[in-house]
Amino acid sequence: MFRTTLTGLLAHRLRLVLTSLAIVLGVGFIAGTFVLTDTIDAGFSQSFAADADKVDVVVTPKDGAEPDGNLPESALAAVKAVQGVKDAQPMVSGDAPLIGKDGKVVGDYPTAGVSIPASRIKITSGRAPSAAAEAVLDRNTAKAQGFAPGATVTVLDQAGKRQEFHLVGIFDVGLDQDLAYRGAVAFTPGTARRVTGAKGFTEIDVISSGPSPERLRTAVAAAVGDAEAVTGREHADEVAKRNHVDTSYMRLGLLLFGAVALLVAALVIYNTFNILVAQRMREMALLRCIGATKRQVFGSIVLESAVVGLLSSVLGLLTGLGLGAGAVAVLRAVGTDIPTGTVSLSPQTIAVGMCTGVVVTMAAALLPARQATRVPPVAALRTQVEEHAFRTGVVRVVFAALFLLAGAGLTAVGVLQKPGQAALLAVMAGGVLVFFAVLILGPVIVRPLSGLAGWVPARLFGVPGRLAVSNSRRNPKRAATTTVALTVGVTLMTFMAVLTSTMRTTVSGQLDQQFPADYILSSQTGTIPRQVADTLRASRDLAAVTEFRGKKAKVNGREFEVGTVTQSAIGTAIEPEASSGTMDGFGGSEVAVADFVAQDLGVKVGDTVTVASGGRKTPLKVVAVLKADVSLLPPFTMAEQAFEQHFGTVGDARILVDASDGVAPERARKVVDDATAAYPAVKVGSTTEIRGQFDEAIDSILMIVTGLLALAIVISLLGIANTLSLSVHERTRESALLRALGLTRTQLRGMLSVEALVLGLVGAIVGVVLGVAYGWAATATLTENVSFRLPIEQILIFIAASGLAGVLAAVLPARRAARASVVGALADS
Amino acid sequence: MTTTTQVRAAVVARGLTKVYGEGDAAVHALRGIDVGFAAEAFTAIMGPSGSGKSTLMHCLAGLDTVTDGQVIIGDVEITGLNDKQLTLLRRERVGFIFQAFNLLPTLTAEQNILLPLEIAGRQADQALFDRVIETVGLRDRLRHKPGELSGGQQQRVAVARALISKPQVIFADEPTGNLDSRSGAEVLAFLRRSVRELGQTIVMVTHDPVAASYADRVVFLRDGLLVSEVERPTPQTVLDTLMALEA
Repeated sequence: MFRTTLTGLLAHRLRLVLTSLAIVLGVGFIAGTFVLTDTIDAGFSQSFAADADKVDVVVTPKDGAEPDGNLPESALAAVKAVQGVKDAQPMVSGDAPLIGKDGKVVGDYPTAGVSIPASRIKITSGRAPSAAAEAVLDRNTAKAQGFAPGATVTVLDQAGKRQEFHLVGIFDVGLDQDLAYRGAVAFTPGTARRVTGAKGFTEIDVISSGPSPERLRTAVAAAVGDAEAVTGREHADEVAKRNHVDTSYMRLGLLLFGAVALLVAALVIYNTFNILVAQRMREMALLRCIGATKRQVFGSIVLESAVVGLLSSVLGLLTGLGLGAGAVAVLRAVGTDIPTGTVSLSPQTIAVGMCTGVVVTMAAALLPARQATRVPPVAALRTQVEEHAFRTGVVRVVFAALFLLAGAGLTAVGVLQKPGQAALLAVMAGGVLVFFAVLILGPVIVRPLSGLAGWVPARLFGVPGRLAVSNSRRNPKRAATTTVALTVGVTLMTFMAVLTSTMRTTVSGQLDQQFPADYILSSQTGTIPRQVADTLRASRDLAAVTEFRGKKAKVNGREFEVGTVTQSAIGTAIEPEASSGTMDGFGGSEVAVADFVAQDLGVKVGDTVTVASGGRKTPLKVVAVLKADVSLLPPFTMAEQAFEQHFGTVGDARILVDASDGVAPERARKVVDDATAAYPAVKVGSTTEIRGQFDEAIDSILMIVTGLLALAIVISLLGIANTLSLSVHERTRESALLRALGLTRTQLRGMLSVEALVLGLVGAIVGVVLGVAYGWAATATLTENVSFRLPIEQILIFIAASGLAGVLAAVLPARRAARASVVGALADS
Repeated sequence: MTTTTQVRAAVVARGLTKVYGEGDAAVHALRGIDVGFAAEAFTAIMGPSGSGKSTLMHCLAGLDTVTDGQVIIGDVEITGLNDKQLTLLRRERVGFIFQAFNLLPTLTAEQNILLPLEIAGRQADQALFDRVIETVGLRDRLRHKPGELSGGQQQRVAVARALISKPQVIFADEPTGNLDSRSGAEVLAFLRRSVRELGQTIVMVTHDPVAASYADRVVFLRDGLLVSEVERPTPQTVLDTLMALEA
């Protein structure tokens, strides 16, 4: 039996290749994920280990230590006094907003001002700062802002004053995500503390003069008291572990896509084995005739799948190795800081890859194998294998209906619920159930759908077109499984497209609501001086200038942000939406409260709250409860005058600027820029910029997800190619007959292409319907005010691409069919 | 032995040679056949297994290429045509009836019958269609799929399909091979009627003397050569000739 199976496999090498390719890709993706994350992990560990050897003991604050969560300054002296300490260097960290060449502070967040111990800092060019007037800049910021050693850099100190430094070098922030994101200027410890005003240290690195790190750690720990002291090695392990959590998330995310790809591969394999069993009825029957038991027939199919699974998994692992190495290379090429590690297949990767590959393949072949055992031995004697017509069974309909009802019900529950995670989970679970319903119902719906999808092709391509459409409907089970594989990918892509386009519209609507202005001014440090708003108001090019101010204060005993807004702007430039009460005629000692705070404090319209700060108490009457998610206002909004009376003169936290109608954007921008030129910390943002950044972020998410889903699509196309080539093989006689009756080779090829087109379109249609439905359902669970938007263009592209891909998948099978000799095919009976 | 009735031949073969394979493995299926098939006549090709009768038919119909010699259908020499030209020729001038019916399972009887016309993009002649349907007696079976028809009915559909495009010649390859004797007799009667009443030309390959006796003329092949022929055959004369050949 074993030999029969093997010779059978070898006799059909092409079939083997197509089937295994699906698994190779699936396993390859999963193995690649492991290779990539393992490489990154190993790289991190290596570089941490290298760092660790330079420092013997690391002292860090205990979680939640006061003040500012830093080590007190006394700790340094205490450490230095410990016997066996050769040197102890503190790490200081604070804000030192760097001023770029445009005279404005750099980035969205203040640049970090730090002092890094000499043992730790990685100078890539120049040298470390050694004098008070010297500084070094991190590599990325230096590159982006065009600074090189020798230049003079300006930062704002804690008081907002400009401070100039001589740039003596460039350094690498290494793996510190926070510094990498904000950018960093490093000084000597003294300068760093003076500039940033930081109190205490974030870390003290200790170098031993002799004692072992462990002994030194104990001594240091005793000296510093309330702080964490670990050896350099322990510290490195800890940081590496934290980092491992990050790569675990990445791994999990990628594996999800791998799972989708494997699901599709399983469908493809299931279908292939089903068709193969159907085609080999006589072979099976013959085996039964000459004495093979049902068990042996079953075994031979399962064995075949095991061999296919094993071979494909091995190839998949190699593919994964290549993919992982490629991904590492690409990530490095685009400038992501990934430490170098060796790319290799770990035993874990091999085990996981082999297991999933073999198990998925064998599981997918189980049902077809059972089908094979049902072939009666007498079938070997029948001349013609009759096509069994598909009948919609009651069981199938009942099961599908149950799944559909449960799925739709669950989805409805999710959609009708208050938005949140529970609602989203309900919708997702409903989606999975509905997908199963579609899977079960596939053979029933594929007939009318292919009629629908084939309506145009049947009319456009004449006889070949019509024959193709009827061919696509002749074996509904096969067509259904083939198309469902494609449906999986298209559903998820459409789902993502709907989700992102709806998010885009919703957020863009919210932006309009939140920033009903052309420009928004904010300050990286402190507040915006009041003169700025005054200067802006003086310009005739600007229509509205709305100032927002805020202070922390106790309200009814709890600390909140209490703020105010330019009185005249209420109801004109900004229109706060109230869930109860109103801000019409707002003034005097009235207050508007955000809904979540109102709920927290249990206050409602008509109640009185008391604002207390700096020894002053002001009672205020609640006149409105505002919807916080669409309001720009702080938790408590007072009238401008009352705010001033309570808090005194406070700088602006934000200023919204609206240009007058008919004023060119460049002109308005210049007015705003001129007004803020004297204040480097004041940043001007335009709403178009904000929207552009948001669009970019959404686009890149969509692109990455679509790219990852493309794998599932490719696998499902292999499925279409496989189904077609097996069908072509089955219909050799029919094709020959058509050729004898006068169908040209081109027409025969066209016929198969149209059949593939119809299959592709059917898969896409089902996928788009599911994707849109669930995209809508999911957005309904995100927030309350969703502006649903259908990405019609993208959906049309998905459908067209699916059809086209189907045609592409048909190229090889169609060529084979067209090349076959008419006589040969007719003679072989 | 050559034919004398070449006055109005629908199909003519001259020096037809077909060799499969090369060198030592070469099989000479046809060794130079000269034969003509009269228009509006029913001719049968007979011969023992391996005599080359099917190969001859495939070459005559333009389904297979020839090694040497000429085949002329009507006024066209088909031996020089490329695949596309051959396809178009089959479409316009040749009809086929196979042993295994070869109907498309997805199409109804009527659609199967009209298929050659559709492929050629031609309109069915309603009068001819009605006449053909009456002749083969399928009026009440037109909406059925092949799977719902008996073997005899399926072959009658195939006959109607061959007749509907009024081809210059119909090639029938063992048309009764898969039928019981009663259905077989019916189909053969239809073939003969279509020659008599519709003026159709039919060339049939068979190994059944009774089937051959329906033809106007029987030609006999042995080892790739035309060796004998019988005009106005009866089962007995055919059988006698065959016996003589086997001897």
